[in-house]
Amino acid sequence: MATPSRTVSKSVLAPPAPPTQRRPYTSSVAPTRSYFNTSIGTKVLIGATGLLLFGYLILHLLGNLLVFLGPETFNSYSHLLIKNPLIVPVEIGLGAIFLVHIYKAVTNFIANRRARPVRYHRTAWTGRPSRKSLASSTMIFSGIIILVFVLIHLVQFKYGPEYVVAQGSSEAGVRDLYRLELEVFGNILNVVFYAFCMLVVGSHLWHGIASAFDSLGADHPRFTPLLLRVAKVVAAVIALGFMAIPFWVFFFARQGAVS
Amino acid sequence: MVFDDRPNRTMTLHLLVWRQPNGQTHGKMVPYTAEGISPDMSFLEMLDVVNEGLIRKGEEPIAFDSDCREGICGSCALVVNGRAHGPDGGTTVCQLHMRRFQNGDTIAIEPWRARAFPVIKDLVVDRSAFDRIIAAGGYTSISVGGAPDANTTLIPKDTVEAAMDAAACIACGACVAQCKNASAALFTGAKISQLALLPQGAAERRRRALRMVRQMDAEGFGSCSWEGQCEAVCPKGIKITNIAKMVREYNRAATTGETS
Ligand code: HEM
Ligand code: FES
Repeated sequence: MATPSRTVSKSVLAPPAPPTQRRPYTSSVAPTRSYFNTSIGTKVLIGATGLLLFGYLILHLLGNLLVFLGPETFNSYSHLLIKNPLIVPVEIGLGAIFLVHIYKAVTNFIANRRARPVRYHRTAWTGRPSRKSLASSTMIFSGIIILVFVLIHLVQFKYGPEYVVAQGSSEAGVRDLYRLELEVFGNILNVVFYAFCMLVVGSHLWHGIASAFDSLGADHPRFTPLLLRVAKVVAAVIALGFMAIPFWVFFFARQGAVS
Repeated sequence: MVFDDRPNRTMTLHLLVWRQPNGQTHGKMVPYTAEGISPDMSFLEMLDVVNEGLIRKGEEPIAFDSDCREGICGSCALVVNGRAHGPDGGTTVCQLHMRRFQNGDTIAIEPWRARAFPVIKDLVVDRSAFDRIIAAGGYTSISVGGAPDANTTLIPKDTVEAAMDAAACIACGACVAQCKNASAALFTGAKISQLALLPQGAAERRRRALRMVRQMDAEGFGSCSWEGQCEAVCPKGIKITNIAKMVREYNRAATTGETS
């Protein structure tokens, strides 16, 4: 230890690295991408579509909670929706938003993985002030589960059995979605599956809501810390709100409807 | 340098170090034992001791970057146990000391890992991608006068502070190293936002945002998922609000064009 260690390290570093690896220090102009293919435009799209889907979830939850008010209220609400001439364009729009979100999120995920071809031998979470959570680390998996869930959900309800019940002024009767719910959620397997999927939705939103605002550039020293908290509460409320329905049907509503 | 050479105070550590002869060959984690390490040594001095041992044995020493060794130049770049710059926040790895570890610990030492930062040798990576991002627009090309002229432009204190916070970046690349997407958004965002905040830089804010983001994307960095691990490992504590600012600057420029 006679020589100062600093000198040793310097001599260790010479000779310099192989020149083959070096790339130029100045850039010629890099190729221009169209806005939505840039890293920023991509995240703007994911964020905007994510927020729109989130908005849809709120409306969907509010509508669905009408089931607690009994078959008449619930069926006339769904009748109003189904028979509305605007329902088809709105559904197409919603489907397009969903597809854009999925396409952009999946291609973005792949591009991000490519940005690190050699993985770390050991990884660690940094802790605060990082927002990394189980939810933020599993966005692609929660997303894929949501996709599978949505498909099953559509088959079970939207394209499910068309029960009709006479109700109100409507001569032909209305679709009895209340009965369908009792039927689907009379099966404990469906209840468990839906409860699990709603936890996954909650997880996606746990990180997603606040992240989407940031992706749109909406960030403020006072409001962002608030948003980070409120977003988690909202995510939990949405997940628990949806979950309440299958459980309520299974444990309470069926008894009344058996006769 | 004063060494505390009381015999019971030296440490033995088990290292796992990434060894890779050059960019064309595959690398692997290689175990080494570091003996006789004083808790008062810095992390890099510990590596120097290991290297002296390797040289004495006629083996190839471990290549790693360092320059100032006082936390200001941004040369040193090691991922220690999965964390860029090691376990302490707000500091570079040259400022990490061995007293932070326990005798007998196993320490994994890896280079920054990103497609845009190819390994040159062992723990040394080529960070010239950052130079090219700066060269694409991280400067002012208009005449803003000499030093005394700075006093003729009045800038609110809060704005100056925000710009100075962003300007603290030493371009070490820890943000990229820690990000799960190997994104350079914090580095690029800090420079875009620093210059956009100040009147001297604001004149070219649109062109700068467009060009720097274009270069950042071309280098093969990932996008931002807002986990903020970059902020947590940044030796200068640069905040991810700078990334949101970059998004706003970029969107404004993308909708109005380079010069308006
Ligand atoms: C009800 C449906 C959905 C809602 C409400 C929703 C909402 C959101 C929101 C708000 C974000 C944050 C956006 C941002 O970071 O800018 C997000 C991100 C994400 N979504 Fe979704 N999403 C849904 C479905 C899906 C599906 C089906 C997938 C994919 C298969 C998916 C994959 C992702 C991924 C991977 C991200 C993270 C992007 C990143 O890491 O930067 N999502 N989602
Ligand atoms: S060597 Fe200069 S910051 Fe670590």
